[in-house]
Amino acid sequence: MMIVSAELSLLACLILTVSLTLGLGTNQNVEFTFLLPAGRTECFFQTAARNDSMEVEYQVIAGSGLDVGFTLISPSGYRLVSDFRRSDGIHTVDATEDGDYRLCFDNSFSKLSEKMVFFEVIIYSQSSAGGGQDEWADLALTEGMVDYKLEDIRATMDSVYQRLERTRQVQTVLRAFEARDRYLLEDNLWRVSFWSCLNLLVMIAVSATQIYSLRRLFDDTKTVRT
Amino acid sequence: MGLRGVGFLLQCYLMLAAAMYFELGEQEEKCIIEEIPEDTLVTGYFLLEPWDLKKATRSPHLGVTVTVRDPNHEIQMSKRYGKFSKFTFTAHASGQHYFCFQTNSTRFSVFAGERLKLHLDIQMGEHAIGHDAEKTKDNMETLENNLGHLIDQMKYITRQQEYQREKEDTFRQISEVTNSKVLWWAVVQTTVLLSVGFWQMKRLKDFFIAKKLV
Repeated sequence: MMIVSAELSLLACLILTVSLTLGLGTNQNVEFTFLLPAGRTECFFQTAARNDSMEVEYQVIAGSGLDVGFTLISPSGYRLVSDFRRSDGIHTVDATEDGDYRLCFDNSFSKLSEKMVFFEVIIYSQSSAGGGQDEWADLALTEGMVDYKLEDIRATMDSVYQRLERTRQVQTVLRAFEARDRYLLEDNLWRVSFWSCLNLLVMIAVSATQIYSLRRLFDDTKTVRT
Repeated sequence: MGLRGVGFLLQCYLMLAAAMYFELGEQEEKCIIEEIPEDTLVTGYFLLEPWDLKKATRSPHLGVTVTVRDPNHEIQMSKRYGKFSKFTFTAHASGQHYFCFQTNSTRFSVFAGERLKLHLDIQMGEHAIGHDAEKTKDNMETLENNLGHLIDQMKYITRQQEYQREKEDTFRQISEVTNSKVLWWAVVQTTVLLSVGFWQMKRLKDFFIAKKLV
């Protein structure tokens, strides 16, 4: 019974894929921060539809060197972007193909340090204009009863929504910048304290050694003489 | 379940299928880090599938264990779910939270070393446009839903800005502490260097005088 309903829902999914994907049309925004262990490559896959625009932005937040390798591979296997050891990058793909895009982050050049990488994928869906029309067509029927044109309300709301989305995206990016700066600063604090202490100890040790060796020198001479 | 329930489930499934996915090996744990201010509701939708949908002849018993750690690395939530579910979580402290996913498919029901893919969509705030959005026939309700979503987006942005300001304050404090520490250590080092130098010279002079070499 369970297997049948699962197969049925899967079949229904496949059939409805095209229609629903066209109807959804919201701008998708995915952002992740993850830890990339030393010497490993992690890949993420993002599904895209035809003729959408995709923007990928990544930034290394923590990890010595603050750099990572990045590749973007299209569904047909073409390597669209190949960055080698960069600390941040932004790439746009206009007119995407249908399928799964592969984003790979490469930390194989580093044997010891793990990197914390932040990345964001924004998909500008081409069908966002078309998808909204259906629900608003019904609203237009009741338009005669209100003074304000519903068309104006719709346009304003759409514009506000787009701008808020953009604000949110910019905020996310700024957050990533701040996190990176903060980690860097905390590292600097630790490093300053540690090396200063070490420097002090080395100085004291060197001065003690100098005195001791000089005294030994003279003691030995004394014994030789007599 | 009813037709409406099935329809809504299908929609969830589909929207999730267009979300980002990554590879998850058997018993492998992968973590996502999210910086969250306190009292924020986080909703996560995930879907676990075999890597090659065509090759999977029978659907094995797949499960996901979701572990959420708070900024102090303590486990705040750890639950087991089926292969397609959603989880919600409210952050009690501001900071970096770790969302870890681990498959716990039983060995004998999955082919040895089979790759799995995990679709993931993490959203913050209530009323996020998502997988719960019911397409109602009532137009006013749709309008209300959209406005509610806009309001929630604005609240989320404001909250994040406040959090950003708090973090910038901490950041500035650390900067000042570092700066004063650099200055203090430099002064101490110079003092030690000078005093040790003087002490060395004085000791040597006394030593040479005592040994009647000077």
